[in-house]
This record gives sequence, structure tokens and C-alpha cells, in this order.
Amino acid sequence: MKAVEIHNLKFSYLGNEEPSIEVENLTIEDGETVLITGRSGGGKSTLVNCITGIIPHITHGELEGSVKVYGNDVAETSLAKLSSEVGIVLQNPETQVMNYGVEEEVAFGPENLCLAPEEIVSRVDESMKTTGISEIKDRETYTLSGGEMQRVAIAGVLSMRPKLLILDEPTSNIDPEGTARVFDILEQLKEEKTLIVVEHKVERVLPFVNRIIVVNDGKIFLDISSHDLIHHIDEMQEVGIEVPIHFIYARKYGIDLEDLESIREKLLEIKAIPTAPSRSPESNTLMKTSVRVTAPNGTELVKASIDLQESHILALMGRNGAGKSTFLKGIMGFLEIDLKSEINVVLAGKDISKEHIMDRGREIAFVPQNFDLTLINKSVETEVAYSIKKRKISEYKKRVDEIMELFSLLDYRYRDPLGLSLGQRRRVAMASAIASGVKVLMLDEPTSGQDYFHKEILGKELKRLKDLGYSILIVTHDSRFVYKYADRVVVFDHGEKVLEGVPEKVFRESGKFSVIPPSDFLLREGLK
Amino acid sequence: MNWLIVNVISWLLFFFGAAFPILIVLRVIGLTGFMRITRFESFHTFYYRMNPSIKIMLGLVVTIVAAVTIWWIGAIMTAVILLTYFTLKDGKRKFITGFFLTMITIIGTTWAFAPYTPYTILQQAFHVTALTGIWAWPSYFTVMGYQPELTMQGLIYGFQISMRFTAVSLISLVLVMTSTPSQVLRALNKVGIPISITFSLVVAMRTIPRIFEYIDTSVKIQFMRGLGSTAPKIFRPFYMLKGAIYAIVPVIVFLVRGAKDTAISADTRAFRAYPKRTNMYPITIGSVDKSALAVMTLVMLITIVAVIMGLGRAIPYS
Repeated sequence: MKAVEIHNLKFSYLGNEEPSIEVENLTIEDGETVLITGRSGGGKSTLVNCITGIIPHITHGELEGSVKVYGNDVAETSLAKLSSEVGIVLQNPETQVMNYGVEEEVAFGPENLCLAPEEIVSRVDESMKTTGISEIKDRETYTLSGGEMQRVAIAGVLSMRPKLLILDEPTSNIDPEGTARVFDILEQLKEEKTLIVVEHKVERVLPFVNRIIVVNDGKIFLDISSHDLIHHIDEMQEVGIEVPIHFIYARKYGIDLEDLESIREKLLEIKAIPTAPSRSPESNTLMKTSVRVTAPNGTELVKASIDLQESHILALMGRNGAGKSTFLKGIMGFLEIDLKSEINVVLAGKDISKEHIMDRGREIAFVPQNFDLTLINKSVETEVAYSIKKRKISEYKKRVDEIMELFSLLDYRYRDPLGLSLGQRRRVAMASAIASGVKVLMLDEPTSGQDYFHKEILGKELKRLKDLGYSILIVTHDSRFVYKYADRVVVFDHGEKVLEGVPEKVFRESGKFSVIPPSDFLLREGLK
Repeated sequence: MNWLIVNVISWLLFFFGAAFPILIVLRVIGLTGFMRITRFESFHTFYYRMNPSIKIMLGLVVTIVAAVTIWWIGAIMTAVILLTYFTLKDGKRKFITGFFLTMITIIGTTWAFAPYTPYTILQQAFHVTALTGIWAWPSYFTVMGYQPELTMQGLIYGFQISMRFTAVSLISLVLVMTSTPSQVLRALNKVGIPISITFSLVVAMRTIPRIFEYIDTSVKIQFMRGLGSTAPKIFRPFYMLKGAIYAIVPVIVFLVRGAKDTAISADTRAFRAYPKRTNMYPITIGSVDKSALAVMTLVMLITIVAVIMGLGRAIPYS
């Protein structure tokens, strides 16, 4: 039986002349597990929205052709009816989960279907069991970690008992531990349902899928069996998709193997093991920080010290709830007023621990994960100029131009920052953060939700800033990004610093703290 | 008195009504305090066990009583409701937050009425011909609608009016703190309010704590970027207010981007498939609800008696 049948699909968003997706023919059989990948803005989400019925029922535009899900014409069938055939889990569980209680969130769909209470209870129990959230059923959803919340979101969709389940970048906002749990669920579900996973992280999804569809520039660029991936590495890289590093080396040296350890052995034989990324040598300490934060009930949330060296990139890693964000907040003076804290921040020999946020801001800049919240001006130029003007820095026009050039923003100088693409908005936020001449830049989860292409741009920007003398502290879950760009890594666990050193050293032990070493490191150092 | 001193004191008094509540919000309650009293936390005391429909009714009863009776009945209700905050989860902190919120309401309302209320109304309200002047405003303050002098009767009048709002705001927060949005949705649907309207309310209840969090982040980052860095410390609360105003657009845009996901999440889970919904745990009327109904009936009877006895809304209050 066919789960999805698409013929001559063409969809353009309102106001766009060019179609965002064009698919001549696409069929997905019942029981298949398919990865849909591609660069951000390439048309992946538009394609899955056409399958779920979000297009045309919620998002309107010019739609041609036909999309059928288990024989139902999507355009002609109500979303309510489709919801029992196809379910979708979105990228950000925070916006998807709308109820306060875990159990009531899972029951939301069945209650909408007006099912009998006994049937609702049965479906809720089944979905919670599948996703492993039965033990947290009485918790409030806002107290959950990102990984837990994503599992609740999945359970909320599973309780509709859809035959086809679509997961749109289900792990982009969660830590490795949460990611592993989500993939465990996928492993379990692939036996029961047709699965479509939209994901940038090809390497992580590969073991679960039997087919890969690459969408690029609104068209299906590649449609292959997952076992054939190794033969299409060049094409994948050509369109900016992150592929497993061992596949790249296997292809490069003609090794007809898929397993990382086997490829590594071959590479050792032919002395072609990749070299480690270059790192900045040890330098003087620019900022010494020590943060101790206690909750009103006396629980110690963080007790750790970190030193940041001059012109260095330091990555702070650890599972959700390890205290990374609280540590950053402590350094910046962002802590909630009911928390007790002992903070010491000495920057270039000057103790700034007692200074107000606006004074700390002369030395330290911060870009939060939700960087859109920092964009308060009407144009990119005024956004970048904001802190320069407020701090009354001379020759501000020249400086604004320099910074906009540094972040390739000159072409957008008169555009509204909030109207730009995700990558451009992040660049505006970074540019405006450093504009007033700070020495330290701190970024919270800058890689979250970014595709390979945009992460590479970010990494290069950070390296450039480092070369210009900035010291950078980033909080991230992305091991591959850290391995490639960070000079040092600190790992937190339960509010304490448990590992510190260069990535090559830290990744040897980081697995036990839920920081999974990247394949680049494993290919070089081995699985043991 | 020296012209300059009069002007300085007058402007300080002018800003007091706006700045003091803001100062309390920022220094004592904090945005996290607001989050604490605008979101649900599960617990087991009577408010949490009460049927949400009964809690909505309780809110209506408090509103009616505060609106139709003499000010001190509103004050008594305020005190009683505030004391019941001790029964909430983390009750002491919620009581303190509720207390300061009440102070803000009183100061804000008093300051909103005292300088503006015409003397003729105050004379009628207090049955006096001569009012007790406390402070004479500079003459140009009349352009802003101010009376020539701030009077004791004006302040009392403003305070009495604030008692119309305090009990109502406290009991509304009880509903928010002790009911999940979906419980409210069920209760409102039962009384026939369309599902799409109640759903908007539910999403709003879920969103309000986040709004405080996002505005807090945005304002702090504006300070880091130099907002108010060249101004004296005393003006920081005003810059905080300015920062919060600037934060409104990015916060709304951010929320609207998320709201589309919320709509998709609801609609792809059969929301509005039928005019009504069923419930996993049907709502029942328990002993707590029966007790609450009895208390409400008693309060309404007392109100009717009080109004008949002349303790109604009419001016004068005394």
C-alpha cells in the first residue's frame, strides 16, 4: 500500500512567483522509513507540509497537482480526518506543546476526536509507554528538559494513532541524551509505522532509515537507498549537506566499507588518518570567573570556575540542566532575584563582579539562543549602531561600516532585521553585540537549529573574531562544531566542572557526561 | 517655598505613581515573581481540587461584590483572598508577591485618581465643603488635568476606588495559578463559549509567563548594549521601562513565529473537528466545590443585605 503519492506537485507561497516546491512524482510505500534532508530554505518543510495537509489547510498559496496520503487527497480531506492518517512532530517542542500537564497534552488530540474517556486513557497510556514518559505524566510541561518535552510532543501525536509519522528536525533543539532517546523511539516505531524524518544530521539518522531524499532549490535532487549514500557523497556535499566524515574519507580513498572503525583501520593501513583541526596555542588568561548559585530551597545549582584565555574559543558543554546557562547568567548578572549567588568575574585584572549589567556590557557581549529578542531597531544599520551610539563612541559611522562588512551585512543595511533569514538575523545579533568594543563574546546555543552550511559560516566568523583578538565562550551541544572550531572545552555535570582541556583530550572521556564525541574525532582517535 | 523646590518636588510626586510600582516590580517581585503567579503548578489544597467552573464563578462573585458594595467590604475580601495564598504551592512567596502586587494596585490607582478628581466630586463624596490640601501643584500642571492642589480627600478617594480592583485581581490570579489551561477550556466550553475563543485564552495563559521571560532577556541585553549607560543611576527604572517598550516588537514577532507552530500542532491533532470535546477525566462537583458554592451563596446574601442597609456602592462611602 502506498503511504504517500505525489503527482505534479507545485506550490508557491502567497506573494512568491517562483514555486517553493516542485515534485513530478514521489511515492513512499507503507512501512518505509525515509530521511528528507537538504539545506535550510531548500523546500523540505514545504514538502512535508504538503503531505500533512498544513498546505493548503493552514498555509495558503498557489497549489497544483495532487498529494495523497493513504489514498486520501490531502487538499480535499479535512485536517481532522487526516490527523488519524498522518501526524507531525515539529522542530521546537516549546511551541508545539500547549498544555501545562504532560498527561493532558498527550490527551489533547483524542479529546478533540470526542473519543470515550476509556479510549482516551488507553491511547494516552500506550503513547506514554512508547515514548517512555509514563514516569513524568504528572509533571508540568514547562519544567521538562528539551528532550523530555520533545518526547511529550511525540506522544501527543502518537495518541492520534497516525499511520504515517513525520518528524521535522526533531532533535535540533535538544541535547545528545535527549536526541538518543528520540532515536530510540524512532527505532521502536519503524516497525509499526511509516516514518519520514526531516533532519540535517544525516549521520545520526542514517542507522534508522532505508531511503534518503535530498531536497534542494525546491526540487528533489536525490532519491536513494541509504546503503547507496557512500556513492553519492560528492552530490550531498555539493548542496551543503553534512555527511559522515568517515564516508568522505572512504570515498576519497576508494574504501568500499561503511562502518567507521573498519574505515579507520583501512586509513591507518594506508597512513591517511585525518589530522586534528588547528587550535590556538595557550595564551594569557583574559577572564577568570567563579560562579556559585543556590536555589531558594538551598539546592546548589552551580559551583564552578572557568578561565577564558585571550583570543581563544572556549566551548561549554554538558547535558540539559547541567548548569551551563545558569553559569552564563551568573557571569552577566542575569540571574533571577530569588537565587542566592556568589559571583567573581575578573576581566583583564579588573574585578567586575559587583558592576551593573550595563557596566559589564562594556567588556562582555552576550547573544542568547533566542537572538531575535535582541533585535529592537528598524534597520540593520541602526541595530549595529545602537550600542556604539549609546556608549558615545567616536567615529561611529566608520565603525558601524567595519562591523557590517565583517559580518557581510552591508547589502542589508536598510532592511528590518526581523525580516531577514535566520542566518542573517543571527549575524545581525552578533554584529550588534560586539559593536561597542567588547573583549569577550558569549553565545548560548548558536548552532541550534542551524544547518551545516550556516554552522560552517558561524564557525568561520568565530575564527575571524578570534583572530581579531576577541575571546569567545560558546554553550553548545554540537560536538562536531566544537571539535572543529573550539580551542578548549569545559564539560559541566550537575553544576560542576567535570572535564576541561583541548577537544582531543576531553572527547576521550566526555561520553559518560552525555557529550558524544563527533565522528571526526572517532575517525582520528578510534572508538576506544 | 522656593519655585525650584516646588517644581522638583511636584515632578517627583508626578513620577512617583508610575515609578514606585515599577520599582516594586523590578526590585521586589521581579519578572520571575510575575512568572510565578501567572502559571499553574500542581498541588493538593482546596483551590487545586476545586472545579474550574466554580473558580470562575468565585471570580464573578468577587467582582460583583467588589463592584456593588462599600469599599471596606472590598478591603476585607482582599485581605481574606490574600491570606488564602498561604494555601497555594510555595504559599509564602506567593503571598509576598500577591501583597506587593496589591500595593502596586493601590498606589497606582490612588495616584491615577487623587490628583485628577474634581473637587466637586470629593465634596459630594465626603460631605464637606472645605478640602484638606496637602500639596499645591505648579499652575501649569492643570494642563495635564491636575486639580490645583493634592488633597487628603483625593488620596482617600483613590485608595477607596483601588479596593474595587485588588480583590478581583487576586482572585483572578488564583484561577490562573491553580487551574491548567485545559481545565479552564473545559469549564468555559461547558457554559457554551465557542472552542476557538476558549483555545485563544488557553494559549494566552500559556504564553503570559513566557512574555515576562522574553521581555526580561531583551531588556537586560539592551542594558548590556549601553541603554541608559550615560544617565544617572536614579533614572534606571525609567530606562528599564523604555527597554521593555522597545522589547515589545521583537517579543511579539518571536511569539507570533511560535504561534504558527502552536496552530499547526492543534489543527493537526483534530482541534475544532467537532464543536465539543470529550475529557479523559470528566469534571465532577466534589465536596470542596459544594463548600465553595455555599460560601459564595452566603457572600451574595450578605452583599444583598449590605446594599439594602445602605452599604452599597453609592458615594459617600462613609
